[in-house]
Amino acid sequence: MENSALNIVVLVKYVPDAQFDRHLIGDAHTIDRSESILSELDEYALEAALALTDARGGAKAGNVVTALTLGPASAAVAVKKSLQIGATQGLHVNDDALAGSDAWATSLALAAAIKTLGPVDLVITGMASTDGETSIIPAQLAARLGLPQVTFASALEVDGGTVTARRDGDDYSEEIQASLPALVSVTDQANDPRYPNFKGIIAAKKKKMTTMSLADLGLSASDVGLAGSLTTVSAAAERPARTAGTIITDSGDAGIQLVDFLAAQKLI
Amino acid sequence: MKHVETEEQQALRSAVRDIVGRYGVEYANKHARAGESMTELWQEMGEAGFLGVAVPEEYGGGGCGIYELAAVLEEASTLGASLIMMVVSPAICGTVIAKYGTDEQKQRWLPGFADGSIVMAFGITEPDAGSNTHNISTVARRDGDDWVLNGRKVYVTGVNNADYVLIVARTVDERSGRLRPAMFVLPRETPGFEYREVDMDIIESEKQYLLFLDDVRLPAEALVGGADAPLEALFAGLNPERIMTAAIAVGTGRYAINIAAEYVKERSVWGQPIGAHQGISHPLAKSHIEVELSRLMMLHAAALYDAGEDKAAGEAANMAKYSAAEASINALDTAIQSLGGNGLSKEYGLAQMLGLARIGRVAPVSREMVLNFVAQHSLGLPKSY
Repeated sequence: MENSALNIVVLVKYVPDAQFDRHLIGDAHTIDRSESILSELDEYALEAALALTDARGGAKAGNVVTALTLGPASAAVAVKKSLQIGATQGLHVNDDALAGSDAWATSLALAAAIKTLGPVDLVITGMASTDGETSIIPAQLAARLGLPQVTFASALEVDGGTVTARRDGDDYSEEIQASLPALVSVTDQANDPRYPNFKGIIAAKKKKMTTMSLADLGLSASDVGLAGSLTTVSAAAERPARTAGTIITDSGDAGIQLVDFLAAQKLI
Repeated sequence: MKHVETEEQQALRSAVRDIVGRYGVEYANKHARAGESMTELWQEMGEAGFLGVAVPEEYGGGGCGIYELAAVLEEASTLGASLIMMVVSPAICGTVIAKYGTDEQKQRWLPGFADGSIVMAFGITEPDAGSNTHNISTVARRDGDDWVLNGRKVYVTGVNNADYVLIVARTVDERSGRLRPAMFVLPRETPGFEYREVDMDIIESEKQYLLFLDDVRLPAEALVGGADAPLEALFAGLNPERIMTAAIAVGTGRYAINIAAEYVKERSVWGQPIGAHQGISHPLAKSHIEVELSRLMMLHAAALYDAGEDKAAGEAANMAKYSAAEASINALDTAIQSLGGNGLSKEYGLAQMLGLARIGRVAPVSREMVLNFVAQHSLGLPKSY
């Protein structure tokens, strides 16, 4: 199966745009999602999938890249952007009962959604979401789907039935292989994500976009949401505004003051 | 009339912001100050299909219209990168050839407009014929199958980086013996053709040129639309030109107000951000309203043009060009005032745009000629000239 077509699922999350200030709203301590976008870290996952399928002849050769998101109606934006960038089809899991789901409940629903897509060769995710930042979904998902997992890959190749990934540590790199089907999470060093071109924007309109409820996935409301979560956020507060800091006026002893300051902060 | 953009139009704007944002305002400013074309950005925008959104699909373009092309330019300008050659190459030259070119000419040029790989300048203004295109003295004379052109052009943008120049000239009508306008595609390296830079006091990435055509010999197929091209061919590109000029002005206005709004929220004097004072906030709010109104008229003109409502589009395009130029000059001035001394520093990139914004009041048609047009055509007042 050296050059055979691949069926890849990419997880894409709709997250608050990092270029705006983030705010918490409501009693459930959730993030204000009014200025949201496709998570930048998931763009690397999508690019990794598209690079693999492009090399195998793309959609024409039967390769499939499914962009999968879980979230409210507005989260469809993340899938649509993925379709514009080049994903073949979209799947959006949307159900009111999902509100408040933690990673455990989320991975349950995601695993059920992936199972509806038939035999999948690869599940690719980003290294973290840029909002919750748990980085735990890939591991939970691999466990739920019974797939080998390779996390934090900074390079990715598929040859025959084997995926090879490079993991970069501080002073070493390791190469890890897993047999397909597998789950891989990629870092922001993995590639240079493409942006949508105009033909992609127009073509996205005609691509298949499916929305599924919990019932479609064979799950009930008590499996997810706050009821199905192992963790709850008991308190959250916005970070206090930055203070003005310490200004050292140089009266000939600024160097000494600077060293004293750094020592007091235990930085030296 | 619909004022809500489609998902595709919104995605187009967002994708343009992504690309231009990657280059950053520093890139645009550096090129403007050096008087160098933003070639890398142009190429990347071209490859992504954003310069060719208005080119028919059968020639590799996006199959949309001037509305989308103006949206691309507006977004780029809003991030400080006014790709002025978009006004000339895809909007004027691309439109003229797509609408009036022969099949051979379309096949030859349009794929290059679709991906931005062809850059075509536009030579219309002459030292002795500015707004009055009926006075054009560049003449094309028939010689066997060829055409021989003689004349002068001035204020032609970006010739140094263009592969071709679309030259507006006049030919002798064989039936009536009268002179009539005609357009020729002139390869830049044609014998007898010279171009010389006009020294401008504007900080801009494209330069202006004076053209000399002395017995320039062109083959028959250089004549756009062939010998039977209608008079309207000349005017086909002029409404898009006004709409695109308005797009640059609207983008420049948005750019200035964005910088100023950020600044006055942060800059604190006497324990309060200066944006809390109405002496600062009201002029910015007023400028914002003026830019948004101009933007609406620009989009309206583009929608009319794409719908084939040429007469209404002409009126709206002139009004949009007029009002966007005034709004952007005012927005820039207001933004500079809001920033005080910083408004004139290189760091904030406002003062350098004054020349660019000011172009909108004189080109492609002066503020006064737009007022003449509106007085005469919209209000039915007598012509003074």
